[in-house]
Amino acid sequence: MSDLASEVTAALARSILPSVIARGAASIRVIAAGDDGVITLEADGSPGAVLPILDRIEAQIRAAVPTVTAVRLSGTGPAPPPEEGDLRGAAQRVVDAEVNPPIAAHRGHVTVVSADGGWVRIRLGGGCQGCSLAEVTIRQGIEPLLRARLPGVTGVADATDHEAGTDPFFSPEKR
Amino acid sequence: MTEARRVLLLAPARSYRTADFMLAATRMGLDLTVASDGALPVGDRPVLPVRPGDHERAAEWIASRCGTVDAVVAADAPMLLLAAEVAGRLGLPHNPAAAVLAAADKTRQRQLWAAAGVPQPRFEIIPADASGDAIRQAAAAAGFPCVIKAVSLSASQGVLRADDDGQAVQAAKRIRQILSTARQDTAGPLLAEQYLPGPELSIDGLLGDGALTPLAIFDKPATPEGPTFEETLLVTPSRLPSHVVADAVRTAGRAARALGLRTGPVHAELRITGTGAAMLELAARSIGGLCSRALRFPGGQSLEELILANALGEPLPPRGQQVSRSSGVFMLPVPRTGVLRSVEGRADAEAVPGISGVTITIPRGRHVRPLPDGDQYLGFVFAEAATPDEVEKALTTASQRLHAVIE
Repeated sequence: MSDLASEVTAALARSILPSVIARGAASIRVIAAGDDGVITLEADGSPGAVLPILDRIEAQIRAAVPTVTAVRLSGTGPAPPPEEGDLRGAAQRVVDAEVNPPIAAHRGHVTVVSADGGWVRIRLGGGCQGCSLAEVTIRQGIEPLLRARLPGVTGVADATDHEAGTDPFFSPEKR
Repeated sequence: MTEARRVLLLAPARSYRTADFMLAATRMGLDLTVASDGALPVGDRPVLPVRPGDHERAAEWIASRCGTVDAVVAADAPMLLLAAEVAGRLGLPHNPAAAVLAAADKTRQRQLWAAAGVPQPRFEIIPADASGDAIRQAAAAAGFPCVIKAVSLSASQGVLRADDDGQAVQAAKRIRQILSTARQDTAGPLLAEQYLPGPELSIDGLLGDGALTPLAIFDKPATPEGPTFEETLLVTPSRLPSHVVADAVRTAGRAARALGLRTGPVHAELRITGTGAAMLELAARSIGGLCSRALRFPGGQSLEELILANALGEPLPPRGQQVSRSSGVFMLPVPRTGVLRSVEGRADAEAVPGISGVTITIPRGRHVRPLPDGDQYLGFVFAEAATPDEVEKALTTASQRLHAVIE
């Protein structure tokens, strides 16, 4: 393992792994450290759950290891172009038909951001953004629904910035 | 291929805790059935609606529709009684309903602990219709300085120190106003308790047949002395001498048993006095807010995974092998009343070595109130480091870099 990869691995273990695990991934590791300072990470468990905090992970790694220039997560490249986006389109159709109508009762809506490698990234809006029950809606509703309807779906990643939600349907009242 | 174990999770709508239980269940590969007073059914997986109010009828209804489950778990306090009622009907391990109710009532706690000889502050119950003289007498009997507190609130809401009888009367009046604003029972009693100086700690553990296995013991380095009692800093493992910690664990275990609790998570708060550990409060749930995210157990397990595993009858980590590293959390208090516009300095706070995360939990634009009137924190800062001292330093430094803009 290169020095750069070792330094980043140490930073991951020191201050990043707990928040990654809290998001649902079992572990996160360095799989490539380029001479240009670009780090590629791989997460398992529920890697899609790591996506929403990738920016923060990059900021923490770059603060700990200044020679790092960029951080990427394996298997989560940009959304496929429209002609390759059959899964994305199919997922959005399922969401529009079977998810958005019921959650409209809570002023919520779901948009499929991308679908790649079996992972469907969704963004929750309206009353679902920042809602304390959003995880129930995703894990108990949307994810099993998409897996049942679309055999190519491995899992669902929540790409929502929940902290920016200004009108969640339910917000926690007690600490 | 073995069949996934089935767990019924009772998920209250307004809780920080539900998401972490959902993630834990996902990581454990559990087959979840969710019952909730807020979640919408989406797709084919059922979400059993919970109607607040009649617990017995709700329990009967859920038990008849949840199918065969291996465990029933409440994600947070509002579902504890219902979880006990449902588990009882399904023949699964559970706490007696009376114990759950006692643990939610600070007056009942004090009475049961007094009867069992559990160390605690001197206390007096202030009836709802108490006159000014009666409040003064109760406070004097508890001894000054004392603490006046509501019996039905949590998170240090409605808790005020009084150094003399005039302050005690004012505190009681203000707490009644807080209860009214919070739409809580204003006809219930208040408590006057002896103020105990000394270090404070909290214990999170799991009960099995009434025996308490501690999982995490947090020091509270910035132990508040009043007039309000916001908790801010929690650091684990405790730096108190091992015999002091052992005494606190024994006291918490006695306190839980005195309430009639036998199984499931416990969160206890104690102060260490010159004569030993004394119980402040105990709840039949795990630590509140997002604080459990500061904890990581051997194998990378979360506290919620341990709670779910315990409910399924799996063994706990051996004593002494609980929390895997020094860690902690800083709860960001609301500094003043107003509308939250932003929390600035986040990148600077996250750059502090040892800081593993900053989460702001109140949406922008929301009206906020500080303690003792409010019950929310702006968010949570998490840290991990080699030693508790390093954790405390990281959290203190990071919190000083955060600035809430409230107009």
